[in-house]
Amino acid sequence: MNTLQIFVILSGIVLTILIAWYFWFAPKAQTRVAVSASGAQEVAITVKGGYTPDVIVVQKGRPVRLTFTRQESVACSEQVLFPDFNKSSPLPEGEPTTIEFTPEKSGEFGFQCQMGMLRGKLIVE
Amino acid sequence: MTQYDPVCGMEIEPQSAFAKREHMEQTFYFCSQSCVDQFDADPHRYMMTSATTGFNPQMTLTRIELPVSGLPLREHSTHLESTLRALDGVSEVKVNATANRLEVQYDAGKVDVSKLVGAVKSIGFQIGGANVKIGIENLRCASCVKFIEDELKSTQGVLSATVNIATQEATVDYLPQNTTLSQLNAAIETWGYKPRPATSDAPVDKQEEAHAKEYRKLMNKFWFAAAISVFVMITAYYQVVPVLRDWNMDSLRYLWGVTVLLTLPVMFWSGSDFFNGAWAAFKHRSANMNTLIALGTGAAWLYSTFAIMFPSVFPEGTSEPFYDVVAVVIALVVLGQALELRAKGQSSSAIKKLLGLQAKTARVIRDGKEMDLPVEEVLVGDVIQVRPGEKVPVDGVIVEGSSAVDESMLTGESLPASKKMGDEVIGATINKTGAFKFRTTKVGKDTALAQIVKMVQDAQNSKAPIARLADIISGYFVPIVMILAVWTFVIWFVIGPQPQFVYALVTSVTVLIIACPCALGLATPMSLMVGIGKGAEHGILIRSGEALQTARGIQIVVLDKTGTITKGKPELTDVVLSEQSSVDSDQLLRLAASVEKVSEHPLAQAIVEAAQAQKLEIAEVKDFEAIPGHGVSAKVEYKNILIGNLKLMNREKIALGSLEEQSKSLADDGKTPMFIALDGKAAGIIAVADTVKEDSAEAIKALQSLGIEVVMITGDNRRTAEAIARKVGVNKVLAEVLPEDKSNEVKKLQSTIVNRKSKIANVVAMVGDGINDAPALAQADVGLAIGTGADVAIEASDITLIKGSLKGVVTAIEVSRATMKNIYQNLVGAFFYNVLGIPVAMGLLFPFFGLLLSPMIAGAAMAFSSVTVVGNANRLRGFKPKFSVK
Repeated sequence: MNTLQIFVILSGIVLTILIAWYFWFAPKAQTRVAVSASGAQEVAITVKGGYTPDVIVVQKGRPVRLTFTRQESVACSEQVLFPDFNKSSPLPEGEPTTIEFTPEKSGEFGFQCQMGMLRGKLIVE
Repeated sequence: MTQYDPVCGMEIEPQSAFAKREHMEQTFYFCSQSCVDQFDADPHRYMMTSATTGFNPQMTLTRIELPVSGLPLREHSTHLESTLRALDGVSEVKVNATANRLEVQYDAGKVDVSKLVGAVKSIGFQIGGANVKIGIENLRCASCVKFIEDELKSTQGVLSATVNIATQEATVDYLPQNTTLSQLNAAIETWGYKPRPATSDAPVDKQEEAHAKEYRKLMNKFWFAAAISVFVMITAYYQVVPVLRDWNMDSLRYLWGVTVLLTLPVMFWSGSDFFNGAWAAFKHRSANMNTLIALGTGAAWLYSTFAIMFPSVFPEGTSEPFYDVVAVVIALVVLGQALELRAKGQSSSAIKKLLGLQAKTARVIRDGKEMDLPVEEVLVGDVIQVRPGEKVPVDGVIVEGSSAVDESMLTGESLPASKKMGDEVIGATINKTGAFKFRTTKVGKDTALAQIVKMVQDAQNSKAPIARLADIISGYFVPIVMILAVWTFVIWFVIGPQPQFVYALVTSVTVLIIACPCALGLATPMSLMVGIGKGAEHGILIRSGEALQTARGIQIVVLDKTGTITKGKPELTDVVLSEQSSVDSDQLLRLAASVEKVSEHPLAQAIVEAAQAQKLEIAEVKDFEAIPGHGVSAKVEYKNILIGNLKLMNREKIALGSLEEQSKSLADDGKTPMFIALDGKAAGIIAVADTVKEDSAEAIKALQSLGIEVVMITGDNRRTAEAIARKVGVNKVLAEVLPEDKSNEVKKLQSTIVNRKSKIANVVAMVGDGINDAPALAQADVGLAIGTGADVAIEASDITLIKGSLKGVVTAIEVSRATMKNIYQNLVGAFFYNVLGIPVAMGLLFPFFGLLLSPMIAGAAMAFSSVTVVGNANRLRGFKPKFSVK
């Protein structure tokens, strides 16, 4: 085994660790939602290759108002689903679309596009 | 002071005007010769439109009727009246709260409609006028906006008007009884503009339009990538191309230099979605299909470019590029996406079909006048005229006329339902024979059709529990594939044959490209969408993917008796005469009906209806008396008549003879017998019973043939219950169950162990009419509500059968089984595709058969695997229930 081969093996190990860390273990940034004057928890989400912000922390028992704006024409993201709340909405390109509901249970609830390529998380506290 | 050219509306300074005209003590300025010519041809026309109101000045007092919503409170009405009276020029105000109409008499010279409307709105009421959008062609000059607005506002009946130059559209609120669309169009034409239908109003499905656009875009990207691919392929396989194979390495390298440049737009235009998507996902610490394609093609391009720029770094014979991989893979995957998009459009056809049922216009009668309005502008409380052959536009109650209405599109019921005054009609159904008028009760998003559409859409996008596994897998899938690609590279590099670097790179790129998380992610949602849509087409509303999945495994179906197996309404079944009866059976029924007409007992209704159905004349009743717990007594046509139970007959000491025996046998059959005595002598028995729906027995038999145990549950006495059960072929009867205990009974059935060895709880479905059965429906694994489309009791159930037939239960189970089978096929297919494809791409077969997958084959496989999933889901569209609701 020559040095180049050893180098490639070591690089493979390092890359593996990096991939696992980056996608699975690194802590994700969370967006805490402030309560607006109307009493609802409002947040604007941009849809472009992903949801920005994608991890949203809200309080239990208060209405949540999520306004999605899709800024791409890729058909993948044309719908957003909240399977745990049985909510879904088409997202016409460029048009802000609001989804409103009141989470009554605390926990982590995913939201996603139809085929699950784009994912986000709603953490109810 | 700035003036306006009255012809074109252009803003002009008087001193720089092209020409000037005096007409009827007014001065006009013009921008050009053509405007002057037009003015000179008919100066009066421009005078007319410059008036602030369109009303005839001779008629000083104008009367207008405004539809106002939310008028019920008396104190508010007086407030409204005084507010309007306070306006200068208003002489009389009348509020008609029941008709939601406001009548105002006013001096058009002092006050205009928009002021009246403003006053009404200022105290919180809404004016229910019609709203229309009119497109205006070639609207460019900003100043014309104001002229057109003023012109529209001055048209009689217009409440407000705004013109948007960006959309080239006028939005007008108007009273349809005072003006028509053509008058509004004429107002726009007076300014020399041509009105056209508004584009934003065009009845095109927005999503469909977006899909068509995206499809075209993808196809353009594909054709571009495909054209480049052909060229790149020629250069890549130069050994077999006649002229190229004679070139030397250096000339070839220049040719490859050209492909470096050509593949760049393929990557960054045709494949831009992959790179953008990959980067966006990367920022979110996630990875998806885009990441894999971007990494695979990116690595291939980087290696190739490096290889032709620095050939000396690589061992002899390994410095050849593979741009073909870059171009061909991108072309194929883009083509796959385009095909997938097209197939997806077909999957949602059920919703399109439902939406297509909606009528476009309604013939509304307001202020005694008939007018055609777009269906969106119909208000609650409007009276609508429907002629034979027309669609009922919204939901309502018939106030005049009668007809037969075809409701098959919503209920699956093929026989037209007869409708008379007071009956409900549902929007989107078709009026067959007669003309009728109805008062609207639900419009817009509240109509039964709109609610059904919303429900179906929500359900189509919900999740089946089976998809959770696929979700968890796809969450880890892409990073795992990336790690596999890294180790494929490492292993080929360390122990692979010469040239190691090329083998290592090609195999790892192939791994990245063949892996298809999309097929896995698409498997469930696509089938659910088609399956739930298919259910809706057959009058079965499945509320969620979970309900659909559970319905597949139903082992026990619990049927509520009243209203589910039976019609839920008593009907006359028998008329028995005693030996000594002085009247015939028609006569007996006629007399009984005459007495019962006065009674309020629910059983009495059945007798009256039966008499009416036989066209028997109801006689006048005297001295009617209800005897609680016994029956009734009365005098009809000088006869003393008694109708009641055995207790009543015993109390009045009436000899019954064989009638008592006959009443017992009637009761054994689940009927309710009532004795009748005329002038102190037993005359006969009239029996009523809740009768079984025509197709209940057939449906129950079908359920049993599917291997499902059928149980009947009822609060009725055992004798009645068993009589019904015998008739429909149910073996197990839970009788005398109190309404609140129904859910407990369901619970007991759920925990009954079928098989002694395995302790798996039974999957129990409960079928009920939704109102008093709500707790039992909720307790059951699957609650099926039998109701009509207009019924809101749908809420408690998982599945709603719009048509009141039990056959729907069978169809629901069939739809569920077909859909779940389809989902399994998709999931298994997608899973095995990846499980087999990835190892082959890694080169697992190479040591044994010398077989290696080309990255281009991998690209084709990946692109068509997701198309296959969507295609398989679309196969469900051809699903036909074996046992359909007719």
